[in-house]
Amino acid sequence: MMDRLMQTIALIEISISCTVIVIWLIEKIFQVSMPLSARTILLILLGNLLFWPLGLFMELPIAAYVRGVTGDLSIVSMLLLWSALLPSSKPNPIAFKVVIAIVAVSFYPLALGLSMLDPYAWGYGSIAFLIGVLVFAVICGLTNWNKGLWIIAVAITAWTFHWHESTNLWDYLLDPFLAIWAIGSIVNSYRLKRRERAQSGYLFRAG
Amino acid sequence: MSRVIAFCFLLLAAVLGFLYIDNRPAWAPFQSATVSVGEEGQAQAYPVKKSSSVNKLSVAHPQSDWLPDTGAASVHAASLIGLKDGSIRAFWFAGTREGAPDVVINSSVFDPRSAVWSAPTIVMDRVTAEKGLSRYIAKLGNPVPSRSADGSLQLFFVTVSIGGWAGSSISTISSTDEGATWSRPHRLITSPFTNLSTLVKSPAIQFADGRLGLPAYHEWIGRFGEFLRVESDQVIDKRRMSSGRGAIQPIVFTNNAEQATAYFRQTRSGSALKQIPVSETRNAGQAWEIIGDLEIPNPNSAIAAVALSNGMRLLVLNNLEGGRHRLVMLIADSTSSDQAKQGQVVQVLEDDEVLPAEQRREFSYPYLITGDGSDAHLVYTWDRKKIRHIHFDSAWLTQLQSQLKDQKKEGGQ
Repeated sequence: MMDRLMQTIALIEISISCTVIVIWLIEKIFQVSMPLSARTILLILLGNLLFWPLGLFMELPIAAYVRGVTGDLSIVSMLLLWSALLPSSKPNPIAFKVVIAIVAVSFYPLALGLSMLDPYAWGYGSIAFLIGVLVFAVICGLTNWNKGLWIIAVAITAWTFHWHESTNLWDYLLDPFLAIWAIGSIVNSYRLKRRERAQSGYLFRAG
Repeated sequence: MSRVIAFCFLLLAAVLGFLYIDNRPAWAPFQSATVSVGEEGQAQAYPVKKSSSVNKLSVAHPQSDWLPDTGAASVHAASLIGLKDGSIRAFWFAGTREGAPDVVINSSVFDPRSAVWSAPTIVMDRVTAEKGLSRYIAKLGNPVPSRSADGSLQLFFVTVSIGGWAGSSISTISSTDEGATWSRPHRLITSPFTNLSTLVKSPAIQFADGRLGLPAYHEWIGRFGEFLRVESDQVIDKRRMSSGRGAIQPIVFTNNAEQATAYFRQTRSGSALKQIPVSETRNAGQAWEIIGDLEIPNPNSAIAAVALSNGMRLLVLNNLEGGRHRLVMLIADSTSSDQAKQGQVVQVLEDDEVLPAEQRREFSYPYLITGDGSDAHLVYTWDRKKIRHIHFDSAWLTQLQSQLKDQKKEGGQ
């Protein structure tokens, strides 16, 4: 029973996440900003389309095909993505993205077999690792990024309740998509800054 | 105010986190091994005698037969487990070809009294797997059975959603009626990169607390072994057994409650030694260390091993540096002196060496178990078309062991 509920929740999460990405893409491509009501209607329509089995040539709901490739997103990824739909959403701090990028760049090679050191194993029950995550959450709070504080707290709580299939805290905090987003955002910010600097240099350079 | 509430929630999460960690089971020792091995023997490789040859035994030749034919064009990756009534249940995958969508996991039961295999049944197919796991599954592979502490049968198997075997994940089903019916599948989460690339091939070992130690391996960016600590259908911890890109499919011998040795299939590239890498633990699997090679050729092919209750260790493998056209059985006695620990080829099971290269068949993926601690059942893929089963009875193995001892005595004089 609990397993079926877990699988259903996972498919609902994937459906919502996919829908949020579609809405974000529509807004980017057509250069529009939808009101919350329009986003909500789209979310309900598309979310249901992804969640329910459509039959035809498919054995599963579309969300299950996506899940086959992506697995379950981390709670941090998911909540960051979903919160982007809210009208009050503000850009996430660059420092957070830098930390995610640094952690991911050092974590994944080790977790995928570079040496005998496996940081992924810490996620099964290392108190030191949990303390490290808590310290990071406190820093988010102290630097006025309450959203980060909330998201990490929810991720830890979800891990203790075994919300997803994984029993590893890492899987609630980080996934490759979050890492790619963080690195992509940093590169994009750097390019924008360089462009701004170049433009301002052209307009105001000493004559 | 909202920040205060957020900090309070983090405090609650912290308390839950510490309670969760505090409630985790402590790492247990291995379930007592059948034979205790001396300390000095652990770090030593078992070189194969170059002069070793096939022994001619006076007792009847081991009984050989085939697993039931399902009509599938391709079969592979057979495994075995003893049932409570003394019979043996086999699992294997079958389909039009390895990795095809129509591949299913079959099972059949061998009755040792009548020496007959039952009609094959389908334990798992792709659509049942994907509906149970609520995610797309492209193909199935490697079934590995185990016995849980509560007495139920547990079957671990590999599924792939995208790509080749490097994209594998492990799932598990269980049965409370010795394999007649099975539960919904559950996914084991073992890798942080969308759970990609963890496979099973070798039997699990048991901890003293009833939990399982499942040897697994990655074969994507890295090719290395991992030791999963499994409770029911969840991985609750894991440890790395090797690193890099040279060793997969670990098979574990427990020497005592704290010590175990793992042999690997080598996957080294270039001119690196084509031998069996060995890793060991001295703290019940909490930390592993690569200690060198077993001086037995390995052509990047799976090995099978089992320890009998008298300390005799049987290995079945392709003792070649290339190809899988010869399959042999080796024997090593873990209770004897250093000299007697040397592995020795005792039986050539298959050999197409004399045939031209294009006519040689593949004999691969051996899997060994013991039924009563004194005999051995072996299954292996025979040219990808059939699965061969051989039963080595205790009389044959005992005579083999005594003959080896006699040979050694003569050699020592």
